[in-house]
Amino acid sequence: MTPLAHGRGSVVTRAVLALSLGLAVWAVTVPTGLLPRRSGGDLRVAAPSIHFLTGKSLARLHDGAAVPFDFQLIIASGSKTNVVARALERFTVSYDVWEEKFSVVRVRDFRRSQMRLSAASAESWCLDNIVIPAASLPAGQPLYARLEIRSAESKTPLASDSGINLTTLIEIFSRPTRPEQDHWSVESAPFQLAGIAAK
Amino acid sequence: MFSATKLLFLASTVAPLALLGQTPQPDPETAAAETASLPDSDLNINSRYTIESITFTGRRDYKLSTSALEEIRRLIGAKASSDALDSLTSRIRDELRAHAVTFKLMRGEQPDAVRVLIQVDRAGGSVDASIPNLSYNSQLGITGTGQLATTIGPNVFTFQMVRDTDNFIERLVGLRAKYERAVLASGRIRIGFEFDGFQDQYAPTTLAALASSSRPSSLGAGAYGSRLNYEPSATFVIAEPLTYTVGLSFEQLNSLPSSVRSQMANAVVNSLRYHQRWSGVGDGAQEVDAGYSLRTATALLATSLAYTRHLAHLKYNYSSRTQSVEVTLMAGAIYGQAPLFERFALGDSTLLRGWNKYQLDPLGGNRLAYGSVTYGYRMMRVFFDTGSVWDEGQPMEVKESAGVGISSGLGVLQKGAFLLAMAFPLRQGHVTPVLIAGMNF
Repeated sequence: MTPLAHGRGSVVTRAVLALSLGLAVWAVTVPTGLLPRRSGGDLRVAAPSIHFLTGKSLARLHDGAAVPFDFQLIIASGSKTNVVARALERFTVSYDVWEEKFSVVRVRDFRRSQMRLSAASAESWCLDNIVIPAASLPAGQPLYARLEIRSAESKTPLASDSGINLTTLIEIFSRPTRPEQDHWSVESAPFQLAGIAAK
Repeated sequence: MFSATKLLFLASTVAPLALLGQTPQPDPETAAAETASLPDSDLNINSRYTIESITFTGRRDYKLSTSALEEIRRLIGAKASSDALDSLTSRIRDELRAHAVTFKLMRGEQPDAVRVLIQVDRAGGSVDASIPNLSYNSQLGITGTGQLATTIGPNVFTFQMVRDTDNFIERLVGLRAKYERAVLASGRIRIGFEFDGFQDQYAPTTLAALASSSRPSSLGAGAYGSRLNYEPSATFVIAEPLTYTVGLSFEQLNSLPSSVRSQMANAVVNSLRYHQRWSGVGDGAQEVDAGYSLRTATALLATSLAYTRHLAHLKYNYSSRTQSVEVTLMAGAIYGQAPLFERFALGDSTLLRGWNKYQLDPLGGNRLAYGSVTYGYRMMRVFFDTGSVWDEGQPMEVKESAGVGISSGLGVLQKGAFLLAMAFPLRQGHVTPVLIAGMNF
């Protein structure tokens, strides 16, 4: 091996090592899971790695259909199986064919809605509207958060004049997903109420 | 796109609901964004737009019931309600026995209007059995078609058993097999192939006329016992809804005395068609079906018979919730020596109803002029037909007929118009009513 070749090999090796180190640092520092946060007296979550306005659901939206999504946020304490709080919501998303913007309706509380959103904003708005009262969570114990999202059949009866039917949503999430159904899930690292940032 | 109209809409819907306490206060992180209530009737933001048109993808025509067509007509001009569109697609899926029927909304020509495209997925290789038409004429007998159709991917296969005493001078029984496929995804070009195999029979008056010395010189062939047709074609959507079809027809006529050599009637086939429906102001709807066809049998195709056949037709229909008017006009001419199946005839279950074509002209003619007016009030129908079939150089003798009947989509017969009518030939000296009954014709 000539000195020149040896030098080239060292440069390549160093570059590969530097790239690997950079990726490792990025993977550790960039939040990709479920991120809990305090907002007033509520616990909310952000999920920067999850994008549910994609694939088949997005194609249906671009065709002008309204697509419902069911959300379940579970908080466990001590271990991941000890569920202490749960929030269930259905959001119906549609895509304005003229304005090319998304609209979201929360099928509860007399249909709270948001219009003229980008895809990312629509996803964030859904997550912002899933709340668990912080007072219902045990302080001083490690907590785990898990978020599950499923695209729903629009014909699934859920809302009535008296509001959302939580029993139906619980049943939906107790069943395995169907092959034609889009679904996503993400978990948080262990956290404590006192340790998460208030935003 | 924020229009003043939409901002007014938002202002007018948010304020009253907020006063009632029905809209929760926005969260601090979303306070900057716009919050509003969608129409209570629909969670789809597109429900605020008006439906401008409803069409099928691939420029396909589907046989739908009159009530389904009525539902489509009602939806045009209404708001794009998801429930209503879901109900329509569900109904179409049931009627067509399709695997799936979905709708797609697209921007309309007008602001705040949308076009609805309905996609029918008949994939899965399921076979659809139906009776596209069935009729009875007390003088001519039964005409009917039984059909099996299946769709495999973009390929549509159709097999028909046909008995026809109506549309030709000959009475035929046989089968028709068709293959059709969209070449482009948009459906702007379709290619097809059709095979027909028919056994032919003739009325005694036709056979007598063929044997007589007064047989017209324009008749290109005598009686044939069977005929076979091979017809490749291509259809182009020039500008929706104007289509142009071009093809070749290789028709083999096997003479009745089997010892006589068969003859060929090979022709270039052209047809131009315009078919459009409109929903106007109020309940009214209009439909125009116009076309021109030209068949040219030329020596270039090694034909035994050389001729040119022109036929133009126009049908206009106006219907409201209770009344309807339909006007039909037809004109045709044949030059050269055409075989019997190409010659024009009047006096059957749809043209010059009440007359018997075998009494009018048992060999048909090479000239045609025809008109018809039908008025309907609810289920009642009254019609007046007039027209003439004659041979070039012979005097044109106009015949007229009138009739009364009922027509509707009735219960189990929803899938197409049902007609029961009594037709009377006029100026014949005596009245011999003809009973006509049928559906989908």
